[in-house]
Amino acid sequence: MKGLKLGLTATLTTLWALAGCETAPQDGGLLPDARNAVAHAEQDPNVTKYAPTELDRARKLLINAEGSAKDKGATSTVASHYAYLATQMARIAEQRAHEQVATARIKSGESERQQVLLTARENEANQAKADATQARNLAQNAQAELARQQAESQRLAAQMEDMQAAQTSRGIVLTLGDVLFDTGRADLKPGAARPIEQIASFLAEHPERRVQIEGFTDSQGGNDYNLELSQKRADAVAMAIIQRGVAAERVRALGYGEEFPKASNNSDGSRQLNRRVEIIVSNGDDAIPGRTTTGSP
Amino acid sequence: MITVNGIRNALWCAIAFGIVACASAPMPTDKLAVAKTAVERAEQAQAAQFAQVELTSARNKLAAAQAAADKHDADVAARMADQAEVDAQLAEYTARAKQQEQLVEQMDAGLRDLRNEAQRNSSGAGAVTPPPQPQPQ
Repeated sequence: MKGLKLGLTATLTTLWALAGCETAPQDGGLLPDARNAVAHAEQDPNVTKYAPTELDRARKLLINAEGSAKDKGATSTVASHYAYLATQMARIAEQRAHEQVATARIKSGESERQQVLLTARENEANQAKADATQARNLAQNAQAELARQQAESQRLAAQMEDMQAAQTSRGIVLTLGDVLFDTGRADLKPGAARPIEQIASFLAEHPERRVQIEGFTDSQGGNDYNLELSQKRADAVAMAIIQRGVAAERVRALGYGEEFPKASNNSDGSRQLNRRVEIIVSNGDDAIPGRTTTGSP
Repeated sequence: MITVNGIRNALWCAIAFGIVACASAPMPTDKLAVAKTAVERAEQAQAAQFAQVELTSARNKLAAAQAAADKHDADVAARMADQAEVDAQLAEYTARAKQQEQLVEQMDAGLRDLRNEAQRNSSGAGAVTPPPQPQPQ
C-alpha cells in the first residue's frame, strides 16, 4: 500500500510537472480531490475486502482523469468529469464497504444474541437444577434429622432401661451404682457423664417433670460422715444435671447416709448395693413423695 | 387515430432528427436510462431520508442531462447522465450503509440489555422475567 502510494505520488508529481509545462494551471481542478478520495478508499482494508470492483473502477476513472488532464489540462471539462466520477466511485466503494461491514456485524450479532440466550437458558436450567438439589437435600436432611431424633429417643428409652429405671408410685426411679464416685469422695467420675447426660436429655424432653436425687452410703464409717458424704454426692449429681440446662427448681438433692439400705451391709457385695445414688423422676408434674419406710423407694 | 397529417408530422420530425444526428453525436439514451434507473434505485433505498444531498445532486444532474438531450447537446447529456448515475449510486449505498449501521446500533443496545438481564437473572435469585424490550428511537 505504501509502495503503491509512493509510486502514485511520484507519477502524480511527474504528471504535475508535465501539466505545468503544458498549461501551467493555477489549480488542479477536481483532480486533487479525486486522488485524495481514491487514496482514502485504498487505505481502508474493508474497501479492498468488500468493494474491490468499485475501488478498481475508481482507480481506472482516476487514470482517465489523469490522462485527460495530461492531454487537455487539469481544469478541462473532460478531466474534471473523470475526476468527479473517480471521486464519487471511491466514495461508493467506501459506503459499500460500510454496508457490508455492518451486515457482517449484524450477522455475528445475531449469533451472539443466540449465544447469550443459550447461556441464559443454561444458567436458568442449572439454577433450577441447583434449587431442586438444594430442596432435595433439605428434605433429606430433615428426614435424617427426624430419624436421628427417633433413634435418639429410642436410645434414650433403651438407656433408661439399662439404668434399671423402675416405675414406682413415687415416679421413675433410676438407681446408679457406685460407679459415679471414688470411695470417700463426692466429685463425679468421668463415667458419670453419660447417665447424667441421659437424665438431662430426658428432662429436656419432658419439661413438666421434676427430679429428686437421693444419695446413700453403706454402713461403714461414721453416721454424720456418711450423711454429709451422701448429701454432697447428691448435690454433685444435681449440680451436674443443672449445668446441662435443667432449671434448678426442678432438681432437688437429698443425702440419706446409710439409711434405707438395699441390702444387709454384711458383705462386700451387699455394701456395694447400698452405695448408690437414686434418681426419682416425677410422674408428670406430680410432687415426689418423701421416703417414709425403709426398703421401699 | 393516425391521420395523414400526423404521419406527415412524424416524417418531418424524423427528417429533422436525422439532420441533427448527422450534425453531432447520437443522443446518449442508454446513459439517460441507466441514470434514471439508478436514481429510482436510490429512492427505493430511502436515500431521500438517509442521503439527501447525494440524491438531490443525482436528480439535478439527471434533469440537466435530460435538458441537454432536449437541446441535442449529446456531450453534456452524456456527462450529466454519467454523473447523475454515480451520484445516485452513492446516494443508494450511503442510504443502505446508514440503515445497516442504525440496525447495528439497535442490535448492540439490545445485546447490551440482554446481557445485563442475563447477568441479573444468573446472579440474583428470583423469578426470571422476560426482559422489557427497549424501543429504539
